[in-house]
Amino acid sequence: MTGAIPSIALVGNPNAGKSSLFNALTGARQKIANYPGVTVERKAGHASFADGRPLSLIDLPGTYSLTPASLDEAVTRDVVLGKQDGEKRPDALIVVLDAANLDNHLSFALELLALNLPTVVALNMVDLAARDGLTLDAERLSKELGVPVVPTVAVRKRGMAELLAAVDGAIRSHGADEIAAPAEANDASLHQRARTIARAAILSETPVRRWTQRVDNVVLHPVAGMIILLALMFVMFQAVYAAAEAPADFLEGGIGIVQQWVVATFPDNFLRGLVVEGLLAGVGAVVVFLPQILILFLFILLLEASGYMTRAAFLMDGLMGKVGLSGRGFIPLLSSFACAVPGIMATRAIPDEKDRLTTILIAPLMTCSARLPVYALIIAAFIPDTNVGGTPVGLQGLVLFGLYLSGIVGALVVAYVLRRTVAKGAGAGFMMEMPRYQMPRLRDIAIGLWQRAWIFLRRAGTIIAMTTVILWLLLTFPQAPEGESQVEYSVAGRIASGLEVVVAPIGFNHDIALALIPAMAAREVAVSAMATANAIDAGDDEEAMAQSLGERLQGKWSLATALAFLAWFVFAPQCISTIAITRRETNGWKWPMFMVGYLFLLAYAAAGITYWTAVAFGLG
Amino acid sequence: MTALLENLLDRAPLGVMVRIARIDWTAMSEDEGRRLREFGLMEGCEVTPLHRGSIFSRDPLALTVGRMKVIIRARQAAAITVEPAA
Ligand SMILES: Nc1nc2c(ncn2[C@@H]2O[C@H](COP(=O)(O)OP(=O)(O)OP(=O)(O)O)[C@@H](O)[C@H]2O)c(=O)[nH]1
Ligand SMILES: [Mg+2]
Repeated sequence: MTGAIPSIALVGNPNAGKSSLFNALTGARQKIANYPGVTVERKAGHASFADGRPLSLIDLPGTYSLTPASLDEAVTRDVVLGKQDGEKRPDALIVVLDAANLDNHLSFALELLALNLPTVVALNMVDLAARDGLTLDAERLSKELGVPVVPTVAVRKRGMAELLAAVDGAIRSHGADEIAAPAEANDASLHQRARTIARAAILSETPVRRWTQRVDNVVLHPVAGMIILLALMFVMFQAVYAAAEAPADFLEGGIGIVQQWVVATFPDNFLRGLVVEGLLAGVGAVVVFLPQILILFLFILLLEASGYMTRAAFLMDGLMGKVGLSGRGFIPLLSSFACAVPGIMATRAIPDEKDRLTTILIAPLMTCSARLPVYALIIAAFIPDTNVGGTPVGLQGLVLFGLYLSGIVGALVVAYVLRRTVAKGAGAGFMMEMPRYQMPRLRDIAIGLWQRAWIFLRRAGTIIAMTTVILWLLLTFPQAPEGESQVEYSVAGRIASGLEVVVAPIGFNHDIALALIPAMAAREVAVSAMATANAIDAGDDEEAMAQSLGERLQGKWSLATALAFLAWFVFAPQCISTIAITRRETNGWKWPMFMVGYLFLLAYAAAGITYWTAVAFGLG
Repeated sequence: MTALLENLLDRAPLGVMVRIARIDWTAMSEDEGRRLREFGLMEGCEVTPLHRGSIFSRDPLALTVGRMKVIIRARQAAAITVEPAA
């Protein structure tokens, strides 16, 4: 180390708190959650020692040993052994241990210590160990391991200064260049030693807390557990409607006022049209769904932070197993409720290759938050805001729940077929650690929500705004002669008329045909596109302008068309990012092409069947 | 010992601690076997099976190993012979 910034890697078992430590030391906001396999990539960040010298910190995926079982674990091995392309080997390791799980975590620690890199052990989660009635002797542990051991509470930033000081000391005092190759330790003997050391370090211990066990007895009960899982999801969708209404109305009102002000203040010119019809009407129509999206995320974040996620995986494993997947895959699929992109990334933690491929291919069927604006718009316009037969269950929330369920059921059916055709393979295994329950920390949840809100608004401000503006241009030119519809006459309108021929059989009208192509960029654009087209259509007609997009659609579409449109969005792969990430994660164009193809076919069929059925029932 | 007398973890009663007498490593893939050992499941260790299956199937099985709770599939549990813990 000749003056270069030392790089220090955080290594340890899954869920030991590596990313929490990374965040505490660097001020970064890596995702942390209470289940194994959250981090699937190497991430670097900057921190500094007490005297101000900089250091580079590397957060790694958790793993149980240097022999990887999945792609994310391979990253850790490669970085630690210096095999990663273009990466030098870390100058030191911080081995992160869960204090309440020493027996197990020490085995990997011993394997890492055998590498003979400068090493410090972070004895993390000492607060949880204390909660569970464990008292540990860090000094004794340090003596047994021969390296410094620093007790830490990553989420409260306790022990950070001591940890860095110990790392500094370890690097300085390390006898240079004696870095060993990984020792071929027999796991049994390694475990034996780990257990002996753990026993020596534990000063006192009471049996594992009973209440967590009691919670699990209910939550993992074959029948009660399933009911709880369904009830949780159900409440989530009811809440999306019930709680978001007021803030959404408020946003909508606010945008309306700005719109009127712009119209009243500026002369009617090109720029005003772009701002009013493209940005305010178009992008604004998407932004009003922010409250809904945040409520959905609040639920997901709470599930992730509490430790419930792995319980859900346990409950779903039986069903997932029947279609050739495993409960492990349920976690990335639930993540895909937020967005399929991180969901697809999270599949790296799935050991079986075919299992992983199948999970990637069905991830776009999970209802991502980008569909929420589309669903919410159509549901609000066409589904009456009533309760189901005198119960407190809202019909709109129920329909939304149904759409999510259709996505899940569709995904399972597709998985079943894929596992017997293109992704054939032995039944996937399922082995996972179940973390202890934790009280979600308000700060973490707030940061998570803020991040999601920011991502959503950035999307609205970039890809959605850009696509909408382009569409607005294509809708504005050429200028229609007096008496003809501007939307139909424009370039975009003519393209839509061409597409309409193809989609008319499944009940799609000109509005929808117009929205479908730009919505490839992002699903929300379907909403902004229709809003923009409607705003252009409304022109200076005050009455039409005062109407909300939902009200306008209500007047123009039949219920059958609306339902077909919803069915289309359950399946259609309207998202470039998903296609791009699938290409990256499957190393080629074959699978993303396959995915796009089968999803469009399904979307067409689903929309068609929905439309024809609805028409048969007289809803056309 | 005959097969009839053997107790497999797959069929062990829930909530009762047992000791692992033997594991048939040939009944599973190398990766699965390694992950079992990484969870600390090996000959001589004590485990308590706690939860089994859902309405969909008998899979999976949740058990405690020391202070850790892990999930495995019935297929692996069926390769693990257990005996009463002392
Ligand atoms: N009580 C307590 N909880 C902690 C502490 N450190 C981390 N956690 C929690 O433990 C869980 C796992 O933390 P992460 O930082 O995501 O763990 P990780 O090691 O990065 O996990 P992977 O990326 O899955 O390998 C989260 O719910 C954290 O909030 C700690 O010191 N005390
Ligand atoms: Mg992590």
